[in-house]
Amino acid sequence: MFVLVFNLVICQITKDITKAKRMKRPTLVNPKCRLYLLASLFIFLFICSNAARVSASGESSVVDGHSLEDIRRGERFFKGLLPFNFKGESCVSCHNILSSDSLNWNPSAMAIAIKYAGRDFESFKASIEQPVGAMLSQKHAGIALEEEDLKAVKAYLDNMAMVGPQPVKPSINQLLIFLFFGMLITWALLELIFFRKIKYRIIPLIVLLASLGYQGKVINEEAIKLGRSQGYAPDQPIKFSHKIHAGDNGIDCKYCHHTAEDSKSAGIPAMNLCMNCHVIVREGSQSGKFEIAKIVDAVDNKKPVEWIRLHNLPDHVFFSHAIHVGSAKLDCQTCHGPVEEMDLMRQHADLSMGWCVNCHRETDVKFQENGYYQTFKNLHDQLDKGDLQAVKAQDIGANDCMRCHY
Amino acid sequence: MKSYWRSLKELEDPKALRIQEAREEAKQKSLLHKTKGSSTANSRRDFLKTLGFSLAATSLVASCKRPVEKAIPYLVKPEEITPGKANYYASAYYDAGDYCSVVVKVRDGRPIKIEGNELCPISQSGTSARVQASILNLYDGARYQGPQQAATTISWSDVDAEVTKILKEIAARAGRTVLLSQTVISPSSKKIIQQFLDSYPGAEWIQYDAVSASGILVANQKSFGQRAIPDYRFEKARVVVSFAADFLGTWLSPVEYTKGYTAARKLDDGQREMLRHYQLESQLSLTGTNADVRFPVKPSEEAGIVLALYNAIAAGRGGEQFSGPQTAVDVSALADELLAARGKGIVISASNDENVQLLINGINQLLGNYGETILWDSALLTKQGLDSEMEQLNKDLLAGKVDALLVWGVNPVYDQANGAELAQAIQKLKLSVSFAERKDETAQVCQYILPEPNYLESWNDLEPKAGQYRMAQPTISRLFDSRNVQESLLAWCGSPQSYGDFIKSVWEQEHYPKQSTYSDFRLFWNYSLQKGAWEDPRSASLTYNDAWLAEAAGKLTNTKSGLEVVLYESIALGNGKYANNPWLQELPDPVAKISWDNYASVPVDYAEENGLQNESVIKVNGMELPVFIQPGQAPDTIAVALGYGRSHAGKVGDGVGKNLYPWVGEANGGRQFYLEKATIEVVPDAIYELALSQTHHSMEGRPIVREANLDEYLLKANAGNEIRQEHLKHSVTLYEEMDFNGHHWGMAIDLNSCTGCGNCAISCQAENNVQVIGKEQVRNRRIMHWIRIDRYFSGDPANPEVSHQPVMCQHCDNAPCENVCPVAATPHSAEGLNQMAYNRCVGTKYCINNCPYRVRRFNWFQYVNNDRFDYNANNDLGRMVLNPDVTVRSRGVVEKCSMCVQRIQEKKQEAKVAGRMLHDGEIKTACQQSCPGDAIVFGDLNNPQSRVSKLFRNERNYHLLEELHTLPSVGYLTKIRNKA
Repeated sequence: MFVLVFNLVICQITKDITKAKRMKRPTLVNPKCRLYLLASLFIFLFICSNAARVSASGESSVVDGHSLEDIRRGERFFKGLLPFNFKGESCVSCHNILSSDSLNWNPSAMAIAIKYAGRDFESFKASIEQPVGAMLSQKHAGIALEEEDLKAVKAYLDNMAMVGPQPVKPSINQLLIFLFFGMLITWALLELIFFRKIKYRIIPLIVLLASLGYQGKVINEEAIKLGRSQGYAPDQPIKFSHKIHAGDNGIDCKYCHHTAEDSKSAGIPAMNLCMNCHVIVREGSQSGKFEIAKIVDAVDNKKPVEWIRLHNLPDHVFFSHAIHVGSAKLDCQTCHGPVEEMDLMRQHADLSMGWCVNCHRETDVKFQENGYYQTFKNLHDQLDKGDLQAVKAQDIGANDCMRCHY
Repeated sequence: MKSYWRSLKELEDPKALRIQEAREEAKQKSLLHKTKGSSTANSRRDFLKTLGFSLAATSLVASCKRPVEKAIPYLVKPEEITPGKANYYASAYYDAGDYCSVVVKVRDGRPIKIEGNELCPISQSGTSARVQASILNLYDGARYQGPQQAATTISWSDVDAEVTKILKEIAARAGRTVLLSQTVISPSSKKIIQQFLDSYPGAEWIQYDAVSASGILVANQKSFGQRAIPDYRFEKARVVVSFAADFLGTWLSPVEYTKGYTAARKLDDGQREMLRHYQLESQLSLTGTNADVRFPVKPSEEAGIVLALYNAIAAGRGGEQFSGPQTAVDVSALADELLAARGKGIVISASNDENVQLLINGINQLLGNYGETILWDSALLTKQGLDSEMEQLNKDLLAGKVDALLVWGVNPVYDQANGAELAQAIQKLKLSVSFAERKDETAQVCQYILPEPNYLESWNDLEPKAGQYRMAQPTISRLFDSRNVQESLLAWCGSPQSYGDFIKSVWEQEHYPKQSTYSDFRLFWNYSLQKGAWEDPRSASLTYNDAWLAEAAGKLTNTKSGLEVVLYESIALGNGKYANNPWLQELPDPVAKISWDNYASVPVDYAEENGLQNESVIKVNGMELPVFIQPGQAPDTIAVALGYGRSHAGKVGDGVGKNLYPWVGEANGGRQFYLEKATIEVVPDAIYELALSQTHHSMEGRPIVREANLDEYLLKANAGNEIRQEHLKHSVTLYEEMDFNGHHWGMAIDLNSCTGCGNCAISCQAENNVQVIGKEQVRNRRIMHWIRIDRYFSGDPANPEVSHQPVMCQHCDNAPCENVCPVAATPHSAEGLNQMAYNRCVGTKYCINNCPYRVRRFNWFQYVNNDRFDYNANNDLGRMVLNPDVTVRSRGVVEKCSMCVQRIQEKKQEAKVAGRMLHDGEIKTACQQSCPGDAIVFGDLNNPQSRVSKLFRNERNYHLLEELHTLPSVGYLTKIRNKA
């Protein structure tokens, strides 16, 4: 471990020096640079302690006789740092290690790691050098790697599958900013009442009002957002694209979500329904074979895919798809947005009560078409007489509490 | 006007009681009132605590993120399952003599509700409270999770090897193996048992019912040559005389009898005739509360009265009269009435004394009731156990004459008088096997515990009445590693087979050839499975033999001395098998309105003489029992319920009440459920707190139950309801009347049909996720039931008249609760429902205070996931029973009856999707669906053709506290009695 720490020390110092050079501060005696060095020493110590912790946990995860060395070598290889004279693209240029904001059709390092964690080296090697799918063959064409390097990559991936993905570094969040403004308020108050050091009292007053205003805004926004998740678009276990299925290929929504018309739940298609098509379609235009193979695996291993749920109403709301799709004949897009254009599914509406209620105020009921509404004789009379132009959903009690809450 | 009183205290001084109640209630409702002795002052510390808590809570809420939820689809979706929609499967409940054909509601693979099966001519969509609560037995934490030997887990194959070895050993040396079961009504099981008996010579099978019909069985064997119970058809009867038979509550087939009884007493379709019901009994039973004429008598007096009645009828019909014990009760009027209604009467007795039953048979024969109201075509088979056989086995066990005992569905260690000795005897046996599904006292002492699955997890076929076959099917995969007893027996016979396949082959060989509708067995099987029933109508008329009568009359005794203790099955717990079911424990007794205990019901006079109050303690034969002063309790008698005092029932049932089975005696070969010459002493100054809900929900003495006698009703249809006209005259309002454009939901309740059995309360509890709160909170008057059944006494405290009245939210169109809610959490819907939005409620309880009907409930605590309320909602298994369509309420909100709005919404959705109008009667609330008296009708008041509209137009209809102009959507039909 000491060796490692030492290595890191060297590494850090060289990095700092290069940075310093880039900053055009050639002399180390510059007092500002000294300050900088002090800071970097502090940072480096901090990183060292972290690195020591990582290596401590890393040591226990030696896989298949691979040492930590192998794993680190594999990592560098994967990231394109080794060998130095490598001309082609590195693995990481297609296979993400960290989750990214934009959609990457290629399987992530983690997904590959999990898939090949339980398989032998030969199958791993074959998938890289002699891939079966047309797309993969094209992309992996010309890759010829040393077996030793590949083994190191496999060791790195196996380790990744066991250790799990790297934790995302926390960023300064709203709460910290909020607290900062709280401190400003405190200071301003103290200044105004006790210290009175600043000549122009307008300054602390402005600071106080601005801080209060900002805090008020944050509280208001957060309170509204509390429990809502408009725009929520988590990564799914399979890179399933609604755009390809519903948009490009024009598959009807209700082919997969076939209980939408007569049940509360629109239903997530069972794996066997996917297999109706994917028993033949084994390779996608974007993701190749990797993603579709997950469905086949799920069916073969009898382990259904665990999707991340997007549209998540609170437990005290009883929403029924059947009423809205089966009876009111609404389009799915009315609530779910342009799904046929979404590669990665996201929550379109905020699904708030105000949103529901507003729609009920504006939407006409299929009053003449649906036989059920013959019960409403009064309203039919008024319609016939012309006293009423149209019957809105709220006119038949759609905004009653117990329509949705019971 | 008649004066009603709810308890003796009120009869004495109604005003003082009300003041006391109001004070008590105020005290109980104060959060500061915790336990006696605790400081009630609010301190600075409390303030700081609250402050700290709110700060912590705020920062928690501010930093919380919504958890990531998974959505996991089926791998291969079963064809019949649609997520979000319930499936219904016909099945049948049978336990401890209670039979009911049911429909099981299954949501996403888990049964959540029992409904009545309307295709069954026996229970006809009715159920009882116990059947409703049986769904919770499936999710009982006290169930055994797998086979065990001496408390260690063992595999089924090892069990089979070991048990077979021992059984063979015993058979080889001509030892005695006894299979002790409750009455088995499954034809397939009987075949398997026979197969088992054949393969092990020396094995025998004894059926044992803790509360048996032994006397009737033996008497019918002698009178008719058939050991069976006839088919009582109450719907055809005009006069019913019952000697202590609680046929509406616990006797033989109460659901079926309630259906018939209420059908013969309905007047809502303009009927002008009504059954008249006489009840002679000592404790005020549920049936007694419904009787037109009730005589409180001591249990030992019964024989004399039966004989006198026999003689009087024999005199009228020219039959032989017998001498025997005399009685002071004048039965001549009764006899005249029975004679006048020949062929339309039913005389029954709950006595287990065969001699009394022989005389009862004699009476019915003389009256020509056989073949008319009492049929032998399809005899009732639900109770077959002979007490004499069990008695003999008991002696043999103690004498060491038994080698192996296989116990199936019975609990002799608990319900035999000498249970402790039996336990020791069982422990000494070469082989003792318990097939118990859940913990019980007998299983505790057996070597092997081989749990059987719940009835909702297994196949079965049943024959509750001769020729009427029912099917039970699994509605969930087995939760635990259990195995049907039938499969165990088959395995031990050397022919292992699944029980389901066995039943199928029996049906194919025996029932299929007898029908001609289906040309393919598969169709026949599917049809029977879907309906849950197949009938093979029989006709039989047995010849009556009166040879035994003289002897029986001679054997009758009439001790008539000393104090007698009557032991009865309670409506909630029955024989006590399911004492671990918290729903049943919390169901208030229909008469005493006490839950979570058994108690000694003492007569009013006795209590006065000895200075007893409710909750005083008396010592009866050395056992301390809490006192409940029961109006109508016969002089010189005390009544105590059986089924309590379990020691190994599970965490809910253990130690609740006292076990009274040790007092069950034996007389003339039958178990005698009363104790003569009991000694009684008052324990001075002792108090035992009872969860008494009797003085709950005061109606402040206003004309709540309206009633009339049949003769008055026939003269004037609105008899007893005249005051309504007065109220309607004053029914004016400043407010605009509400318009209901589409539906206007309403409910009509026929007080003539409500027997007060409590089925609706449990049905509602299961449907609406109503939580159990435990004895202490019930005592604090916080019971959560959305529907309660008020019971009012009137008249003479020694023998009062009783009225039952189910009260739930009245859904007033001018609701007092709605106006006072500061956050508009309880507005009125466009369909006339009084809505309750839990998430809006902040718990001010103004609505509760302003509701004149006292039907709103407040969640004083978090009842779910709270170790202080360790009932079914405190564990994952028990929570499986929750209805996913109803919110589980949390602490601090008000809840109440929603008229099963989830069912309304479901049916409306069906109609809307199909594009058709709703049919009348399509929506059934939970309380209505399984009501054995068909007392509740729900429907659309805007539809003039609906049943509920017609009932609302009935002259008998009135609303509770109509003078307040609350405009309730629930109507009641006056109770019509048929007094002579």
